[in-house]
This record gives sequence, structure tokens and C-alpha cells, in this order.
Amino acid sequence: MVSAVRRQLVSLRALGLVGALIVSACSSSGQPAASGTAATQGAPASGGTVTIPIGADPTLNPWSPNAFVESLFINRVIFEGVTKPGKDLAPAPDLAESWTTASDGLSWTFKLRTGVKWSDGQPFSADDVAFTFNDIVLKKDLGAQNAASYAALKQVTVVDPNTVRFDLSRKFAALPSFLAYNAGILPKHVLSANPLTTTSFNKGAPVSTGPFKVEKYTSGQSVSLVRNESYFGPKPYLDKVVFTVVPDPNTQIAQALSGDLSIMILDNKAAVDRVKSASGLVVASRPLVQYYWLALNQTDPRFTDVRVRQAFVEAIDRNAIIKSVELGYGSIANSPITPALAAFYDPSLASKYPYDPAKAKDLLAQAGWTAGTNGVLQKDGKPFQFTMDVGQRGVLEPVNALIQQDLKKVGVVADLNTMEWNAYIQKVVVRRDYTATVNWWTYPSDPDVFPYYHSSAAGKGFNIPGYQDPKLDDLLVQGQTASDLEQRKAVYKQLQTYTSDTLPYLFLWYPQEIDVLSSSLHGVPELGLRDAVQYIGEWWLAKP
Amino acid sequence: MVVFASALTFFFVNLAPGGPASIMRFDVTAEQRDVLIRAMGLDRPVPQRYAEWLAAAVHGDLGTSLLTNEPVSARIADRLPNTLTLAGSALLISILLGIPIGLVQAVRRGSPIDHVLSLASAIGLAVPVFWLGIVLILVFAVSLHVLPSAGVTSVSSDTLWDRVTHLVLPAVALATTILPTVVRFTRSSTVEVLHEDYVRTAASKGLAPGVVIRRHALRNALIPVTSAVGALVPRLLGGTVVTEAVFGWPGMGRLALEAAQGRDYPLVTGLTVVIAAIAVGASIVVDLAYTWIDPRVRLQ
Repeated sequence: MVSAVRRQLVSLRALGLVGALIVSACSSSGQPAASGTAATQGAPASGGTVTIPIGADPTLNPWSPNAFVESLFINRVIFEGVTKPGKDLAPAPDLAESWTTASDGLSWTFKLRTGVKWSDGQPFSADDVAFTFNDIVLKKDLGAQNAASYAALKQVTVVDPNTVRFDLSRKFAALPSFLAYNAGILPKHVLSANPLTTTSFNKGAPVSTGPFKVEKYTSGQSVSLVRNESYFGPKPYLDKVVFTVVPDPNTQIAQALSGDLSIMILDNKAAVDRVKSASGLVVASRPLVQYYWLALNQTDPRFTDVRVRQAFVEAIDRNAIIKSVELGYGSIANSPITPALAAFYDPSLASKYPYDPAKAKDLLAQAGWTAGTNGVLQKDGKPFQFTMDVGQRGVLEPVNALIQQDLKKVGVVADLNTMEWNAYIQKVVVRRDYTATVNWWTYPSDPDVFPYYHSSAAGKGFNIPGYQDPKLDDLLVQGQTASDLEQRKAVYKQLQTYTSDTLPYLFLWYPQEIDVLSSSLHGVPELGLRDAVQYIGEWWLAKP
Repeated sequence: MVVFASALTFFFVNLAPGGPASIMRFDVTAEQRDVLIRAMGLDRPVPQRYAEWLAAAVHGDLGTSLLTNEPVSARIADRLPNTLTLAGSALLISILLGIPIGLVQAVRRGSPIDHVLSLASAIGLAVPVFWLGIVLILVFAVSLHVLPSAGVTSVSSDTLWDRVTHLVLPAVALATTILPTVVRFTRSSTVEVLHEDYVRTAASKGLAPGVVIRRHALRNALIPVTSAVGALVPRLLGGTVVTEAVFGWPGMGRLALEAAQGRDYPLVTGLTVVIAAIAVGASIVVDLAYTWIDPRVRLQ
């Protein structure tokens, strides 16, 4: 009896506490966002453990079809690619020191680092690179993740123990960038029998080349990493890196507030003010190679008229979406090339389609949509009404609700059909049985967006709207075959202008990531956390 | 019973829209999808797959998890002890608190304390576990720093005391899913028993009120409570899904959620079999408890 009363009292007190948290959050929202690596740090110190939360048990094999987003962090720490994303996101040396392309553009030769060892002490060589690509990625019956990115790759040839050549069937200027994106090299001497489903590797202690190696994998709880003593590079400052499995994002926030975590991605941006007001935590916004889009199925004749697509973009108040859903952490998108790709991004397009419902109505009228009953536009006696399929993930549900309201204002009725994520993928992606849907693309740090836009990918590949346009195809191929950076920049500038005019997808916004860092953590580059972990050897903890 | 549950689950989970997470991704091409479907054997008809699964299952082989390629039985065995610890503790809390509280309410029926406790159990029944869980974490882990926020042990230390401190918050949160029901059953059945002739006789014999309640009323009042507790075990196991997610508790509930979201057909079926077996086991235990509480049920 007494216990029950006490329990209720505790709940009441807890309610008060939650109220206090909200109040303190409101009062502190005026604080400026601090930068992740502030100036007050001094010289790097050695030692300490960094703790990072992940949402589920990872699969420690970058090519496994079961390596989902929670696996990326660890795989990018322990495995190394031929290249990795530089701090400017351009490809930088990793296992390769340098690379050149042949004059015909049909092969790339990579000079590998010498003296690299696997974490079990065995020497790393060109054979491991050839094994990873020839025996895993190009083996169609394995269904390796990301294999579709290497459609242009014929084979990898070992020139000598420290040199590999990637032989291509067509020019592929973005190859070094793709090799930096979830393309970790796997050990031939361990996995030659069973590359993708060896449980002792994927769920145990894999043999790797990165600065840290797996010490212990405890299913459902944590994966702890220790320094890899065989690592070729400078010794990392940290003693240990622990990834804890915390499925509930609110629990992750609570753990950050109680000081249990060193760094995390704040997926629930609504909590940003609460986290900013906490002592010992720093909040930083990071650029992402990601954009949200609205796909209008091109098999529906209403959406093949470019004026309708432009009208929709004019009708949707994208600034309002960024403000309410992303709490301002994002910017308007009018092309697939994100601001994070600074060398290619064209900022002049940012103001191309300001929110303008009147103009949207004009465009729709030009396309033959006239006022009908109940304020709904109609054409040939049929109202402008369709269904938007909504996947239950991240911010998609509120975003769809906002778009629905905006379209209603210009006389277009969008009915929302909300589904669990897995069922959504089957309907929209696998069956392409949809009319309109909102989602996002994340892609390697290169403007080569061929897989998402080329007409060869319409209806089955990653070209979700099924948009087909010979001129766009031509630009995409030119981008892949351009011989130098300046030429590529020119092509992709044209591609940005062209896609912003034609709107194969309706571009919505470029999101930013919010990272929460312990104030004692330093040396983290200003990249999204999934890229920043590739520099974990440079991270260090200030002594308390 | 268990076989029936497995058949029902196997067919329903295969009928659900979607498919294994490895093929239900944005970044998988149609070609890769076909390869993986064949590799997982999902191109064969469901009845054939069920027949094969059942044939292996009677020999103790529950199949291979589609998400990790590990044996289903190993994945469940890894998580089962954690769930039993959590659910067992919550059950214990509910019984040790629920029965005395219900008794007090029945004896002091209509008094202010009865009303306060009734209100408390109504609130307890209405509060969702995920909310209560976060509030408990905010209070005891974030503000007071007296208990850990999540997990089953600390990463660095794994002592019995460490495990107990990790167990407290999730066990309390999970107990709230059934505690109010235990209280209400105890209260109503005790109230009923207190009106029985034999209780009045015992009281009129001049026995002390405490003795009347302990010797005559409680034993009879507990019979319906016992069957209620047995019936609450499935609800308790259902509650582990949310509780384990909030507290990062590596148990079967979380595994079931991952398996269902990822359409890991063999794992979902295997978990259902184990959970059905536990529910059946609980009702057997309840039947045995009857014979202890009520001598009339005893065989000869």
C-alpha cells in the first residue's frame, strides 16, 4: 500500500520534472549553437573510451545484404576501402596511396600502401582487393549490397602485390568516390569459402585493417572495439570505442543527458533545445549528402506535364517544412546535388521556386486544370485527386501532412495512405504500385547520380518516378565520361539547371544532421557522424 | 496448442505485406532481390516451407534466421534468460505488492484509502509503458543518477549488483502492466469472500479479524487471483516488447519486434512457439497452484 502510494508520488514528481525540463528548454533556446571542435582544447591526450549508440545489432560486413544503417558506423571504423571520403568529401587515400586513370578512361590503376597488415597479423595485398570485387561484388548469385553501383566494372586485375587495376566496360569517372562509400576490403584468407554469411565474422570478431578492431560482440547489448595493434597508420588516441545497442531514440537522448554517451546523431530534432541546455553537451549541425523528394509516377499522364510538376513545387511551402519538421536544420533543394558537395553545388538555384500558390494555380490552369466543384481542380470532368503512399519512418508522416495541406490550397486533393515501412517498400519500390510518394536519397560523395535518373533505371532500378529524357541521359553519361574535374563541374552545373527545370523528382530540401557531442570529445571533423567515424583515429578525450 | 500457434504464425507472417529486410530496401535492385529470394528459399510455396519447417522443428531445429544466418534456437536461447528474469521480476513485484494492496482495499472497502488506491491502480492501468519508462529513466538515471538508464549490465563491469541495478527500472515499468489487474482481482474476490457464510461464522465464533482473513478468507479469495495471474502471463510477455525497447534490454520482446519488422519468418515462428510454450507452461503451473491453495482440487 505504502509502496503504491510512493510509486504514484514518484510519477507525480516525474511529471513535474518533465515540465521543468520543457521550461528550461524553452528558456535556453536563444543560445547560439556551439561548434563541435571548439577552440578551447589544448594538445590531444591519449586514452579513454568513446561510447556511441546504435539502433540495433550490426552486421560486421559492408557487403552483406543484412548490413543496415546501424552497421555503417562500425564497418566504416574497422574496415577500410581503397579510398575514403576526405574532409572535403572528395576521395582521399585509404588502402590506396594514389591512383590514375588510363587515357581511354576504361581502367583505373590504384597503387596500394605497403606494409599493411590485417588485425590477425597476416599481410594485406592486392589479392584482397581483387577478392572483394571479383569474388563478392561481381558474383551475381551472392546479391552483395551496393553491387549495382559497380555495373561498369568488368573485373579487378592484380598487377603486382601492391597494384590493382579496375577494368571497366564504360567510362566511370566517379569510381574513386564510389570506392570510398561502404566498399570496405575484406580478407581473402578468412572469407574465401563463405564471404557474406560467415557468422563468426559478421556477428563476432572480424579480421580487419582499420585503426580499431572488434574486442567483443554482445548481441543486443554492445560491440566494443580496441586498438588494432597491426594498424599501419598513426596510433589512435582513444583506448576503446564502444557501440551500445539502444533501440529507442528517446532513451538515447536520456543516455546522452546522463553523460553515458560521447557522441550521437539526434534524429528527433524536436529535442535539440533540451539537449543544448544540458551541461557537458555540445550540439553541432553537419552537412549530409542527402535530399528529400516527392516522386510523381510518370506512368500517370497527369504528371508527365512539366507545368504540373513545377506547379506542385511552387505550391509546397518548403521553408515551412524545414522550419517545422527539421527545426531549421536544412535548406531548399532544387537539384540532386547537395551543398555538401561544395565543388559541384550550384547555389544560384536555391531561390528558383519560391513558395507561390498563385503562380502554381496559373501553371495548373495552363496545363488545362480548371476550377471544379468544392474548390477542387478538374480536367475532362475528373477531379485532380490522387493517393500519396507514406512510409512510417523519420519525418515522412508530418511532411506528407504538410504537403497535403499545401496542395489542397491550390485545388489538388492528395489522400494519404500510411503504411509500415517494410510494406511500403514492397508497394512503392518493388511493385512500383504508387502514384505519388515522398522519400529521400543518400548517395556517395560524388555528383554522379546516374542510377537515380537514367532512363535505363526507370521502373525497375533507382529511378523511382520512372522519368525518361534523352537529354538528361546524355548529361548523365557526359558526367561519367568527363576526363577532368573542371569538365565534370561544367557538366554537373548543366545537369543541376536542367533537372531543376524539368523536375524528374520534385526536389524538397537538403537536410542537415544534428550531432550531440560530449564537451570533452575533440578532434571530430565537421562531417556527418557516419563520415566522421572514418577519422576516429584523430578523436581524443580531454582529461577530466 | 503450440503446433497450432506455429502454423497460424507461419502462414500469417508470410501473408503479411513486405518481405525480409534484406530485400525490402530502397537501394536493392530487382535483380539482387531475385537472387536473395532464391537464396532464402522464399520462391517456394508457403505450405511446402511450413511442412519442412515443422519436420525439422520436431527434431529441435527451428530453422535459420533470415537476418543473421544464425540458428533461430541459438538466437532465442541467447535472449530467453533475460526475458525470463525481467518478466519473472515484474510478476514477483506484482504479486508481492498487488495481493496485499488488494486485501487492504477489500478490508477497508469504501474508506479514503480504498479510493486513493483505486485511483492509483486506474492511473497505473492507463499509463503507457513507453512513457512511464522514459519518465523513470529521466528521474532515476538522468536527474538523480542513482540507477543506470538502459542495458542489462555495464559494458565494463558485470557483477550481480550491477545486474540488479539494471533490472530495477524495467521490472518496475513492466510490473505496471499487470499490477493494477492483480490488485483489482484480489480486492473484488476478497470482498466477495468476506460476505460468505463461513467467514461470518468464523467471525461470530469470536476469532480475531486477522485470523479470519488469513485462515478463512485469503485462501479462498486467492483462487480467482491465481487464475488471473496465469491469464496475465501473456500480457506480461507482450509488455516486454515495449519495455525491452525502451530500456535497451536484450530480451525476446525486442527480438520479436526486430523479427517482425524485418520479416524474419523463421525467427518470428520460432519465437511464437517458445512464447506459446511459456503461456501453456504458465497455465499448467496455475493448475498446480490450485491444488495447493484449494484442497478440494487435490486428487484423492
